[in-house]
Formats: sequence, C-alpha cells, structure tokens
Amino acid sequence: MTEAVVVPPMPLARTLRAYFSDAAYESLRLLRTPAFSIPILAMPLIFYSFFGIVLAGRGVHAPAFANQLFVGWTVYGVMGPGLFGFGILVAVERNMGLLTFKRALPMPTGSYLAAKLLMAYVFAIVIMAMLVALAVTVGHVTLPAAVLARMAVVMSLGVIPACAVGLFIGAYAPASSAAAFANITYLSMAFLSGLFFPLSGTLHTIRWVWPTYHLSQIARAAGGLPFEGQPVVHAAALAAMTAVLIALAARKVARRG
Amino acid sequence: MAKVERAGEILACLSGVKKRYGATVALDGFDLEVRAGELLAVLGPNGAGKTTAIGILLGLQAPDVGEARLFGRSPHDIAARRGVGVMMQEVALPDALRVGDLIRQVSAYYPEPLTFGETVALAGVGKLVARPYVKLSGGQKRQAQFALAICGRPRLLFLDEPTTGLDVTARETMWATVRQLVAGGASIVLTTHYIEEAEALADRVVVMAKGRQIAQGTVAEIRALVVRKRVACATTVDVAAVEAWPNVTGAVRDGAYLAITTNDAEGLVRRLLAADPKLSDLEVRRAGLSEAFAELTSEPAAEEAAA
Repeated sequence: MTEAVVVPPMPLARTLRAYFSDAAYESLRLLRTPAFSIPILAMPLIFYSFFGIVLAGRGVHAPAFANQLFVGWTVYGVMGPGLFGFGILVAVERNMGLLTFKRALPMPTGSYLAAKLLMAYVFAIVIMAMLVALAVTVGHVTLPAAVLARMAVVMSLGVIPACAVGLFIGAYAPASSAAAFANITYLSMAFLSGLFFPLSGTLHTIRWVWPTYHLSQIARAAGGLPFEGQPVVHAAALAAMTAVLIALAARKVARRG
Repeated sequence: MAKVERAGEILACLSGVKKRYGATVALDGFDLEVRAGELLAVLGPNGAGKTTAIGILLGLQAPDVGEARLFGRSPHDIAARRGVGVMMQEVALPDALRVGDLIRQVSAYYPEPLTFGETVALAGVGKLVARPYVKLSGGQKRQAQFALAICGRPRLLFLDEPTTGLDVTARETMWATVRQLVAGGASIVLTTHYIEEAEALADRVVVMAKGRQIAQGTVAEIRALVVRKRVACATTVDVAAVEAWPNVTGAVRDGAYLAITTNDAEGLVRRLLAADPKLSDLEVRRAGLSEAFAELTSEPAAEEAAA
C-alpha cells in the first residue's frame, strides 16, 4: 500500500519564526520567574558594588586594581545566566517531562538550545551594561568607551562556554541537586581562577582548568591591560572545553533523555 | 498543497514492535495501523503498553525489535512530526508562561497552524488564555494541553488518556471537538481506559493487554465478541446452587439480590423462575463494553475469536 505524504512543507520563514518565538518565550518566562532572574541579574551588581567599590575603599583609586575588579566581576556576571540557565533548567525540564513533550513536537532541531543560548545572551548583555555603568560612575574605571565596548564584546563570548558548563551539569545532575552543583561550580570558577585576588601554590598551577581564567585574560588583552599567555591559546582552550562538555552532555541526553 | 488522504490510507503504523524496560515487557510483538479519517481507540488497563506504543510512534523511544512509521517516514523525521499533534499523560509545562503564550509558541512549530482564535474556540480555553499555566487546576491543565495538541492543524492527533481529571462539561466539550476534528478529516488515536470514551467516539477499537493486541474491531464487534448477559434479581435461591447450573459463568449474592453472568439468559431465567416463584426485580442486560473488556483482557483465548 502506498503511503501518501500529506504534511505540508515548512517554509524557511516559519522555521526562523519558530526559533525566534522559542527564544522570546524562554526569556519571557525567566524574566517572569523572579527566583531565577533576580539573583542572576542582581548578584553581580551587588557583589561588584560591595566588594569592588565599597570594601575596596581607597585602594580602588589605583587604576590597575579598579580594572582588575571590573574585569573579574564582569566575567563572573556574564557566565551566570548560561551556567544557571542551562544547568538548572535542563535538569528540571528533563525531569518534568517537558523535554519529552518537546521532542514529540516538530520543534526545529536546535531551537531548544538556541533559545536558552539567546536568553543567556540577553541576560549577559543586561548584566554587562549595568556593571559598565557602575564601573565608569563610581568604580574608578577610566578606560575609553571604545575599549570598554571591545572588552564587552569579548566577554560576551564567555556566554558560550558558560552554557556548555551548564549543559553538562544539566545533563548529568538530578533535578533536585542541579542548583547545588551549579552554585558550587560557579563559585569555584569565580574564586579559584584568580579573578579577584592572586592565587598561589597548586591553585595557581591549575588555574587554567577554569574557563573564567581564560576569559578574563582575553578580556584584559582586549582592554590593553596586562595579561598572561596568548589570547589565541586562551580562546582555543575555551573552544576545546566547550566542545568536550557539549559532546559529553549530548551523549548522556541522547542515551537516556 | 496538502493532498487529501484517501479513506483507509495508512498514516501511521507499528509492525512487530517489541520493547522492554529491564525485566518488564512493555510491548510484545505489537502491530497497529492508523488509517486516514478514523478515530481509533486503544483500550487497555494501566500497564498494557498503550503509552509505550504511542511513544514509539512519536519517536520518543526506539523499539527493540520492529518498526514504526509516521506518514511513511521515520518518526524521528521532523517532517513527519509536523503532521502530528500530541497530548501526553505526564508533562509539566513552563509555569510562568500563560496559556496564550504556550499556544503561540507551539503553533510556531507547524507549517499551517490554526489561527490563535480558532485554537482557543475549538479547545474551549477562552477563559484560560490570560492565566499563567501554574495557576490552572488539573482539569484546566488538561484543556490547555488539548489546545496545544490541536493548534498545529494536525492530520493525526494522539491523545493519551485525554479526559483524565476533567469534569463532565469539559469532557463533553473535548469530545465534541474531537468529533468535529474527525469530521474535518483528521485522524485520531485515543488511548483510554474509560470504556464510555471509546463507545462515545471510536470508529475502531484495539484492545491491548500485556503489550499485545488481543482484539480489534468496531465497538459493536468488540461487544459482540462477548455473548454473555448479566441477570440480576431478588431471590432466595442459593448462590452455590446457581453456580453449579449449566451455562452459568459466575454468581454473586448482594443482600437479597443475586447477580449472575451466563451464556444462556433464557434458560437461566426459566430455571430461576421455576426454583423461586416469588422471584422479583428481574433484570437482564447485555454485558457492556466495560464487562466485555474485563473479560477480553483476562482471557487471552479471546484472541482467536477476535481475529
């Protein structure tokens, strides 16, 4: 018996529209979830104000220290949305059957991940805008606008490795403990990579394992600040970490959902 | 653009599908054909394998043995799934989105969806569109999920236990919409363990038990498979004695009443009246699909009769 294909084809414009609407609704639902959006948006701002400006006191008047704190907290802020957006949400959505439902629907391939990536970008840009505003008004950062813009573009690329780390956590962690894993990872990435203060001993030796270390060095290079190593090597390290984490996550999700 | 399906054309099929989860056999050589324009009810108790069968047809699970086809393609082919709408049993949707948001989001996945207004009207969710999904009651969530299932103008609609948790009005609305969709040319696969649902809606019924098809046919055919009748009356005749009579397959006493199942209602009634002239409240009825179904699923021997 012949089987007729009766389903109309999907025009490219409608596929793009599906991607766009997924991204819009993903951002909308997280903005409407204060338990997610408030900490992600406010924590970098509060930490930078408190540790980077108030507690740093007069020391922040030294340009090198002011710049160090600005880069450190911006890298911290930029990586939050991707890490938590993927880390917690993927774990929870796997658990509650939403992913299964989405797989049954004709959702375009990649739209689920693209929506979360775009959401992370939107959040990261808002965070960066707030931190830059703070840095130039009260943070004693005196870099020219063009330099700040170049640094912002470079740091925004950190969203991608952050999403990869989050995706890895989301794929492996149970929904109940994904938040804890994401938090531990986030704090480790912030404080064990030398973002805010110099490291020593073993921590110094293995600082290259943290994506935040590489991202902050590239950002410093883009801003004409002193940096370690080669920007190309740091970028390659980030790309490699991203690829490995995504591959491991994809393997797990493909096998067991 | 879309060709109209010829009646009887096969839209989806499972052939010889086996699937096990660890030690549990979910499907044990299951075949299913869904034809254009029909409403097929897949009936069976919990654990019969209904949801697994649908999951394999949708490409959510891979069969261990056998094959699934959707519009002549692999269910993993997104082009095949564009013709499908689905309402699953266990799904939690994003809490913070409103019902209207969800309908717009899911509609965007389809090439020629219904308009927003059409979906809302058909699913009867006008009062729910502005409400966040998390604020809905269990029944309202099912209605919202139904709206998501139909919004893509699917050629084939899978409804897995759709009316669980619905009140009578909501259930009637859903049934009316299902009939309307079938009249409009859609095909529907409905899994249910509510017999009334199959009786009210289905063109064809497939009865499943333990991962296999044990019977299939129209509702009338399924019912006719079972010739038994139920006889009830108030009588003093001893229940143990009745059980020993020929053609009696079961007898139960409930206070003054005796409920008897038999293959020969006339003979039984004659004998009862002879044994107890004071017998009253006599009632004879054909076994409903409910009883037919209980019998089919408890006796695999019915398979031959059904074939």
